[in-house]
Amino acid sequence: MSPTKIPGELSVSFRYTPGVGNTAFFEGLRDRAVFLGSRCEDCGVTSVPARIFCERCLAELEPSLECGPEGELVSWTLVRVDVDDQPLERPVTYGLVRLDGADTVLLHRLLHTGGEPAIGERVRAVFTSPREGSMLDVEGFAPVADGAGP
Amino acid sequence: MEAMALRVGVAGIGWSGFSRTTEGTSYKELMFEAARSAYADAGVDPRSDIDSFVCCSEDIEEGTSIFDEYVPDQLGAVQRPVQTVASDGLFGVATAVMLIRSGVASAVAVESHSKASDVVSLGRVDRFAMDPVLNRPLGVSPTALAGLEMRRWLHVTGRSESECADVAARNRAHAATNRRASYADVHDPTPLFDPLTREQTAEPADGCVVLVLTTEERTPEGSVFIDGVGWSQDAPSVESRDWDRAAAAERAARAAYDRAGVEPGDVELAEVDDTFAYKQLQHLEALGLSDLAEDRVNPSGGALGEGHLREANGLARALACIEGLRSGDARVGLAQSWRGVPSTSAAVAVMRR
Amino acid sequence: MSPRVAVVGAGMSRFVRRAQETGKELSWIATREALASCELKLDDVDAVCLTSAPDAFDGVHRKGDYLADGAGAWAKPYMRTYVGGGSGVFTAIQGWYTVASGLADVVVCVAEEKMSSCQPHPQGAFLTIFDNILERPLGPNLLWIFALEMQRYMQAYGLDKRDIAQVAVKNKRNAAEHPAALLGQADITVEDVLGSETLAWPVQRLDVSPISDGAVAIVMASEDAAKRLTDRPVWIQGVGWNLDTTYWTNRDLAYPEYVENAARMAYGMAGVNEPRKEIQVAEPYDPFDYKELHHLEGLLLFDRGKAPEAAADGVTARDGDLPCCPSGGLLGVGNPIAAAGLMKIAELFWQLRGEAGARQVPGTPERGVAQAWGDLMQVGTVVVMGNGGGPLATATQSPPFAPRATSLSDQEFRSATGAVEQRLDTRYEWDPGEAIGAVLDGLREQRILATTCISCGRTLVPARKFCERCFRPTDGWTEVPHTGTVETFSICHVTWDMRPLDEPQIPAVIRLDGTSEGGFLHLVGEVAPDDVRAGMQVEAVWKPAGERVGSILDIEYFRPLEPELRRELVAVAAVELPVEIAP
Repeated sequence: MSPTKIPGELSVSFRYTPGVGNTAFFEGLRDRAVFLGSRCEDCGVTSVPARIFCERCLAELEPSLECGPEGELVSWTLVRVDVDDQPLERPVTYGLVRLDGADTVLLHRLLHTGGEPAIGERVRAVFTSPREGSMLDVEGFAPVADGAGP
Repeated sequence: MEAMALRVGVAGIGWSGFSRTTEGTSYKELMFEAARSAYADAGVDPRSDIDSFVCCSEDIEEGTSIFDEYVPDQLGAVQRPVQTVASDGLFGVATAVMLIRSGVASAVAVESHSKASDVVSLGRVDRFAMDPVLNRPLGVSPTALAGLEMRRWLHVTGRSESECADVAARNRAHAATNRRASYADVHDPTPLFDPLTREQTAEPADGCVVLVLTTEERTPEGSVFIDGVGWSQDAPSVESRDWDRAAAAERAARAAYDRAGVEPGDVELAEVDDTFAYKQLQHLEALGLSDLAEDRVNPSGGALGEGHLREANGLARALACIEGLRSGDARVGLAQSWRGVPSTSAAVAVMRR
Repeated sequence: MSPRVAVVGAGMSRFVRRAQETGKELSWIATREALASCELKLDDVDAVCLTSAPDAFDGVHRKGDYLADGAGAWAKPYMRTYVGGGSGVFTAIQGWYTVASGLADVVVCVAEEKMSSCQPHPQGAFLTIFDNILERPLGPNLLWIFALEMQRYMQAYGLDKRDIAQVAVKNKRNAAEHPAALLGQADITVEDVLGSETLAWPVQRLDVSPISDGAVAIVMASEDAAKRLTDRPVWIQGVGWNLDTTYWTNRDLAYPEYVENAARMAYGMAGVNEPRKEIQVAEPYDPFDYKELHHLEGLLLFDRGKAPEAAADGVTARDGDLPCCPSGGLLGVGNPIAAAGLMKIAELFWQLRGEAGARQVPGTPERGVAQAWGDLMQVGTVVVMGNGGGPLATATQSPPFAPRATSLSDQEFRSATGAVEQRLDTRYEWDPGEAIGAVLDGLREQRILATTCISCGRTLVPARKFCERCFRPTDGWTEVPHTGTVETFSICHVTWDMRPLDEPQIPAVIRLDGTSEGGFLHLVGEVAPDDVRAGMQVEAVWKPAGERVGSILDIEYFRPLEPELRRELVAVAAVELPVEIAP
C-alpha cells in the first residue's frame, strides 16, 4: 500500500523587522530599561509598546512617554501544556500587566515564588542584563511586595 | 442602521464529515460531498444556477499558500465568480448577503471546511497568528490567552468556574442526540491554562458545510431567511484589546439585530460560539441572551459537543440553527461565531422562518 | 440595476524592497493618506475591506486579523478577501458590494503586502502554492509556471521576444514619473531587457517585476455620500471576477479565458459593448511583461496574439491610442502583490480625475479598466471605472502627497534592533483521499491511472472523484499510456531562490496520450535543452520497482520517444528545498 497520509510542511522562514514604533520601544528597553509608550491626546489612550499611529483614530503618534516599570496585574494563568498540547515539566505563570501610565497591557511571565498571583496586585518588571532589544529583555514581572523593586 | 429591506433566503444546506477524522477522504472529496447535498437540498445545478461562490479558509490551516486555487472544481465553480473570505464561515454568509443585496448575484454558495486531522500541530498554526515580535518570542501557547481572558472575565462579572463547567456538561449532554457530534462523552477536568480545563475546551474535528443562499424571489416558501448580519473587530493586539468583554460580538450583534429589526428578547434559539465554555457565557452576555432558556442555547451541543470545525465553526452553528428553525422548534434564531485565539473577530446572523 | 458606488479618495505608501515598517504601519500610511485625500476621519468610515496575498509572505497566520488596526478597522465591520494575485483589484470589488448592498455608506479598502519578511527569498513562499501531493515533490519554482505560460503564448502565435520586452521598457519608463515607484527607469531599452540574465527561458530578469513591500488604500462611497464628499467622484461602472479550474495543466495556457469571463461580466454591468472604443485607459496586470499583453487580449482590447504588435507600434504607450499601465505598473512601480493590484485602481482614480500629473494620459479619458490576475494562472478580477464625462482637473504632483515608507538596505535589515527570526514550524499529514490515494498506488505499480466522466466523455488526469465540468461523480478508472506530448516547457537556469543551477532543469506540461486534455507537470531529461520542442513525443522513465513508494517522483522524468534525440542524462532531480534559518 502507498502511504495513507503524506507528510509535509511549509518550509518558510521569516525575519521580522519590529517596525518604527517597536524599534523605539526596543531601543528604550535595551539602552535604558524603560517601557516607551505613545499617547493619543484626542482619544485619551496611552499605548505600550509605543505605536506610530493611534488605532482608534489613525493620528500619528510619537514614542515619547515612559510607563512603568511598576504596574497592576490584570489577569494571570498557569500554563501547564506547551504549544503541542504536551504537559510542561514545570508549569509557567503568565500574566497581563497594565503598566503605570498605560491604558494597555503587556503579556509576560510572572516571577511569583510563593503564593498565587492576584488580580489587582502590584508587580514590577525584572530586566535581564545584558539586553539585546527584545521582549526577552524583560525576564518577567515580580510582585512589588517581594522586594523585587529598587 | 435601517432594517434590511431585502431578505436573503436559505435555499439549501449540506454537510459532510463532522467526525474526529475523515480518513480516506481528501478535503476536496469532503467539499464535493457537502456541496452536492446542499445543491440537491436547494434543487439547483451549480453549473448554471449559482452566480457566485464564497469559500472561507486560511492558508496555513490548509498547509497551502493561496488556497483559493484549490476550491473551484469540487464546488461546481469552475469559470465562475469565486472568492475566498479569509475568515470564519459566518463572514462568508455576510458576504453572500452583500453579494445578493448588491444585485450582482441572486444565488450564492458559501463553503467552509475543516480537515484538522491533516494538521499535526494546530497549536503552532494558531501561534503563528500572534504578533511575531511582541508575543511569539515568549514561546507560550496561544491558548494561554483563553486562560487569561477566562480568569479576567470571572473576576469582572463575578461568575464562577462551576458555571463554566456546567456549560461544558450541558453542551455535551445536548450533543448526545446529535448525529454530527463526536465529543459527547468527554469528562476530563484536567487543568490546562488555569482556570481553563480540558473538558471546557472544544476539540478539533473534520467536516464541511455548504449553504445555498438566494434572493427572496428565488427562495422556496416556508424557508429560513437571514434577516440580519453583523460582523466586527476589536483591537487585534493582545496589548490593546478589551479584556473585560466580548466587544466585537456585542457590536456584531447590535448591527445584526438592527438590520433584522428584532431585539434579543425575540430570539428563541441561539447557536453561539463555545470554543471554550466561558466564551458561551461571555457571548450570550454580549448578545443580550443571558436569560435565554438553557435548552435553547446550543441544543446541538455546540463545538464542545460536535467538535470544533476551525474556520467552519460559524457555519456549523448556522447549520444547526437553520435545522432548528426548519423543524419548527423556533421562529427567530441566531448564530454567532468567534475565530478563536488569538482573534478578536466575531460575526452574527439573525434568522427567521 | 445596482446602486451607484464611487471611489472618492486614494492613498499609498512608497513601494520599497525592504521596509522598516511593519505591515500594520504600511497599511496605516496608505489608509491615512486615503482618508486625508477626501478630508474624512476614521469615524466617518462604516466598514473596512482588506486584502493581502499569502500569509507566507508576511509570515503571519490570519494576516487579515493582524493588519486590522493599521487598516483602521478598530471596532468596525472588517473582512479580508483573497484571490491570490487578483486580490488587489478584488478588494475594490469587495468595497463595491459592501456599499452597493446598502450595509455601508463609506468604506475604506486596503491592500497590503510585506514580502521582505520571507527568508531567504520570498520565492520560498511560492513553493507552497503548488499541489501538495502531485506537484510540490518536484520542487517547482514559481518562474516555471510563468515560463511555461509565456512559452506557450509565444509559440501559439509565433511571437517575437523583442515585442514582448517592449512592455517592460514602457512600464519602467512610465514609472520614472511615479514618486512611489521602486523601479522607474527613464533610459531603459529593449536591449537591456533582452540582454538581462536568463532565469527560466523565455523569462529573463527584466521581464519580471520585483518583490516589494507596500500598501495602497482607497475610499469608496455610496452615490449620496460621494456627491457630498467630492465634485469629481470616479464611479465603479462594472465589476467582474472569475476562477478557472485548479487543474492548470489541463488548460491551454495561450489564452486567459477566465480574464475574458471576468471582463465580460464587468463590461456587461458597465454597459460597455465595444471595449476597444469605449475604454480610454487600461491598467492590465503586469507582473511579467508578457502578462500585460496576455491580459489585454483577455480584456478583449486586442485580438488574440495581436497585443505584442500593437505594443511595438506604440498603441499602448502613455500617449498612444490606448494607454496601458500609465502608472508604470508592477514592472515599474513594484510588486507588493495585493497592493500592486489596488495601485491600479488608484491610478485610474487619478487619471480619470485629471490628477495624474506627469503621468496623465492625453485627452479627456472617460472610462478605464483595471485588471489583476492570480492563483495558478487561474483568476481574473476586473473593474471598469468612469468619471461620467465630467471636466478633468490638472495636477502637477501625483499622488497629491509624498508617499512614505522607510527603505532599509540589506545590512540595515540584517542588523535591525528588535528584529526576530522564526521558522514556520507547522506540520501536516495530508490525506490524499480516495482519488489521489489510488493514483499513488498506481504509480507505485508503474501505472498512470485516470478517471472518466461518461457525461462529457473526458478522461481525467490528474484523476479526481468528480467531474468539474458536469459536477457529478466520475464513473470509473482507466489506465493511460506512459507516453505523451510536451505541451509547453521551460529551460530553467536558477533554483527557487534564484541561485544559478549547474545544469538547467526542463520543467514541462506533459499531455498524456489517451487523455482528453489531461496532463501534469513533470521534468524532461535525457535531452539537450536546445533540442526540446513543444509537441515533442516523450515517455515516462520510471524508478525501479523496489524504489517506487507511491509518489509523483516514482516517474523520474520524461525522455524523448525518438532515441536519436536522447543523450546521456545530466541532471533532472528536484533542487533542494528551503532549509531552516532559525530555530
